[in-house]
Amino acid sequence: MTTTPAAFTEETLQIADVSLQMRRGGAGEPLLILHGELGVPGWLKAYELLAEKYTVYVPSLPGFGESSVPDWLMSVRDLSAWTNWFIREYGISSPLNVIGFSLGGWLATEIATVNSALFKKMVLVGAGGIKPAQGEIWDYFMNSSREAFEQSFLGRDSEEYLKYYGRDWSPEEGDQIETNREGAIRLLWRPYMHSVTLPGLLPAIATPTLLVWGREDAVVPISSCELYQNGIAGAQAKIIEDCGHMPEMEKPEEFAKAVLDFLGS
Amino acid sequence: MFIGHFTEEPWQKEDWPLEWGSGVMQVSNSEYDPRLAAHLYNRYLDEKVYAEEVGFDGIMLNEHHSAPFCLNSVANVQAAILARITTKAKILLLGNILPIHDDPLWLAEQLAMIDVISKGRLIPGVVRGGGSESIAHNTPPHFNRERFEEAHDFLIKTWTTPGPFRWEGKHYQYRYVNPWAVPYQKPHPPMWVPGTASKETVEWAAQHRYPYIMLATQIELTQQMYKVYYDTAREEGYEAGPQHLGFMFFFHVEETEEKAMEYGRTLTMGVRSPFDPGVERPRPWIMSPPGISSKSARALQRQMLAVDSTGHTHAGARASFEDQVATNGMIVGTPDSVIPKIRYILETLRPGTILFRTGDGAMTHETQMRTLKLMGAEVLPRIREIAKELDLPGPYEVDPTTNEAYAAVAS
Repeated sequence: MTTTPAAFTEETLQIADVSLQMRRGGAGEPLLILHGELGVPGWLKAYELLAEKYTVYVPSLPGFGESSVPDWLMSVRDLSAWTNWFIREYGISSPLNVIGFSLGGWLATEIATVNSALFKKMVLVGAGGIKPAQGEIWDYFMNSSREAFEQSFLGRDSEEYLKYYGRDWSPEEGDQIETNREGAIRLLWRPYMHSVTLPGLLPAIATPTLLVWGREDAVVPISSCELYQNGIAGAQAKIIEDCGHMPEMEKPEEFAKAVLDFLGS
Repeated sequence: MFIGHFTEEPWQKEDWPLEWGSGVMQVSNSEYDPRLAAHLYNRYLDEKVYAEEVGFDGIMLNEHHSAPFCLNSVANVQAAILARITTKAKILLLGNILPIHDDPLWLAEQLAMIDVISKGRLIPGVVRGGGSESIAHNTPPHFNRERFEEAHDFLIKTWTTPGPFRWEGKHYQYRYVNPWAVPYQKPHPPMWVPGTASKETVEWAAQHRYPYIMLATQIELTQQMYKVYYDTAREEGYEAGPQHLGFMFFFHVEETEEKAMEYGRTLTMGVRSPFDPGVERPRPWIMSPPGISSKSARALQRQMLAVDSTGHTHAGARASFEDQVATNGMIVGTPDSVIPKIRYILETLRPGTILFRTGDGAMTHETQMRTLKLMGAEVLPRIREIAKELDLPGPYEVDPTTNEAYAAVAS
């Protein structure tokens, strides 16, 4: 079997008050990816698998990657308003499918509380945003970025962990990781990685929702998954065994299959 | 010439494990022994009173949080005590960490009261603080500079504008600003700003004509930062002079060279500040998180320390006491041998303010008192002569806000 080169394009857009780094690939219905607090290290295998069925859009959110951040943007709720603006201005037809990872899961949820009709289906993966019933969300900011990557994976021998994180970084990669950390600090500092008002708004969501969690998630405890499932009517949950906080990188095939099954159902 | 005294006021315990380092966010406060702390606080206050007695113009205080290397975690508490138990010396705060305050009105009130009780001896300097301070009080590091500038502007307005007024800022909002206590000094107490290597802070100080005190005891780096001050001043339309610039250095003096080396060595022992030259900075993602420094400052830090929050910690090894003495990072000797070294600093940097950092590390009270006595008798008078000869006026001889000489006050 031959490996095809990653089929994606990358461009910089001037859109919604942001100079935005945008990766996209595939064809078909739109599928928007909202990345997590560690940013987007590249065109991941999971994106590639999803792009076989969908047009996958992976913007670097404001303050992450090479995207600028406007002064006024100070919270995840601000970011949710920005994301709504970006979707309209970019012209992605709605309702559209969305996957939110960790921070991005919180972000997608915020948007859905205001406008459930924007998303056709919503997948939340190891989502932040809610204070867990048991345990605490692991504090990125008291630890180094290297420790953060280690914490996010159960299997540190997995292909994409070794490819992107489990090795020495070039100075440019180090700078990028610092920039992403700054973007995360801006949004997540306090209350840390959660909103005190979001739980009360979960019942406002009418979007069909799939929750995906690594059984061994050591960043956002799995008890948050239960809170999301209890709060969003009809939400399904798919727990991935032997997996940490980033199933999309640790178990890309299993992750992509769960998502494709849900979106195609 | 303005001559100040400074001690970081470290925790002192003989069995402090070396691996605990400065203890910043590494040691539980279950190690804090209030009885030992009571002894140390009173000891350090006694030393400050004595520093005033032997002729220092100012007593400098600072603060750090969750930090065993600095017991004075609320500088305003000691400042308030000194306001009452000293009579002449300026109380120099370098300073309050503005961005970690969520309620700067409370700060304005505290400082006004200290200024009033001291009858106008307060210098309420301001700092941005490192990452550990933001973590300790859980204030957002990414808005550190914005909060610093807004809190500063708020303090000045509160001290100079008759209340009540409203404040509707980005980070602070008040519907009724009208504290009963306002400062003794008019239009407001003089602001000073300390720094290490943040170009933006030097520019900001120069734009406000605030004296800038360089705390990093490296001559070349200090020259670079002073140049930024001079250049910014010219852009602002004035000439900076010695009254705008200060320098701090480690110091110990004894009657003999042997004793100076023997007892001066204790400056580098015990619980040390992670900011001191030659001391490893633990966990840079805590001490200097992205967002708290500008990208240019981060680049400079990386260059200086080769560290960043990505987990690479290549901080330099501890410089030995001998190395630091040899390179004048620490000035240690007899009155006769330290004077030429201080003269070199004064000639090279031309500061109007110098701060002696002494009595630090594992130094005992007896040693500190002995060196203070000798400084008062044989060092300070000679420095004042040299400063006069070199024409180095301090900020109480030439007003940094106007460059006008103050009228000599008959004593």
